[in-house]
Amino acid sequence: MIFVPLVALLLGILIAVATGLASIQGLQGQYVAVACLAGLDSVCGGIRSGLEGKFRKDIFFTGFVSNIVIAFFLAWLGQRIYIDLFLAVALVLTTRIYTNLSLIRRFAVTNYLDRQARRAKGVGETTPEPGA
Amino acid sequence: MNPFASRTQGNDWVWPVSAMCLILGLMISMAWVTQENRQSRRGFLSADQQTRITEGEVDLEAFQELTASVAKLREEKTKYEQALASQSGDSKVLNESLQEAKAFAALTEVEGPGILITLSDSAKAGGTVSDAAVAGDVIIHDTDVLRVVNELFASGAEAIAVNGHRVSPRTAFRCVGTTILVNDVKIASPVRIFSVGDADTLYGAMMMPGGILAEIRDSDPAMVQIEKLKVVRVPAYSGTTNLKFGKVPAIAK
Repeated sequence: MIFVPLVALLLGILIAVATGLASIQGLQGQYVAVACLAGLDSVCGGIRSGLEGKFRKDIFFTGFVSNIVIAFFLAWLGQRIYIDLFLAVALVLTTRIYTNLSLIRRFAVTNYLDRQARRAKGVGETTPEPGA
Repeated sequence: MNPFASRTQGNDWVWPVSAMCLILGLMISMAWVTQENRQSRRGFLSADQQTRITEGEVDLEAFQELTASVAKLREEKTKYEQALASQSGDSKVLNESLQEAKAFAALTEVEGPGILITLSDSAKAGGTVSDAAVAGDVIIHDTDVLRVVNELFASGAEAIAVNGHRVSPRTAFRCVGTTILVNDVKIASPVRIFSVGDADTLYGAMMMPGGILAEIRDSDPAMVQIEKLKVVRVPAYSGTTNLKFGKVPAIAK
């Protein structure tokens, strides 16, 4: 299931390439870049909470939007007051992406080992594999 | 049991997340820096950084081609002038004074005895910028080159070339990052300064205690090397000689 978002991501890039969506020029490009980081963070968070079974649509959507808006605002503020808040935003978002990805990895590895252990215990004795 | 999947696991998250991923993919494509829009991102840099980038962008091949053609044309011009002069006495005198002026203005090659000074960064200079900043004196700066050239002229040098760039009335030495600009061309250590003049006088002047070279030697004696040469040949200046703003005032009669 975790591959569906990845496929969607690739699909998005393909659509952009196919329709010849132009790259953003100038400073606006920087804002879109920060928005990308915010979006990536939200998506990773979404996948994580999904795997943990805590996913809530409303929180996910509002988080996606508010993350981007906050990132925009901070980046804009940084430009106004001449402090490189772009970097601060990028740092925080990247940290969060790291945390989320490590939790996803932890979940995936535990899940995998769990399944192996169950299979080793007795074949066909327990509940069948999902999707089998 | 998997502690991270303690609750029942629904797959209701997949589609919202996928939809957002689709948007994210579009956004990433929009933010992608391509060859075309890289320039436009420059506005984000400070003015100082922008200048450095522009200075870094030199079309080297075109530059070398142009320099070569300037040298060739100047040589041809001299040839024509001499051909013209061979016809009559008057023009011969004129041509002589013209060639003299050209030699003085660094527009011709000059050959003669002289010395070669090689300035190189000290091996003590660290690899990182901060090291160099702390031990600023172990690298060759634009001011070092400038002062050596000044000293050479002061002690009677008639023509000077720095790393093959003739020092002309228009020559400036300027620091750009880790390199030095001479006639708007970047050079770096080792800096080889050829000068034409009386070799002994020049050599003596350069060895003067308390002079600029002595100062550099204080940091590291290996940074300076001086050689007397029987024949030094310095190239002609290949930069522009156009006057855009100044003009020679009319002679009052």
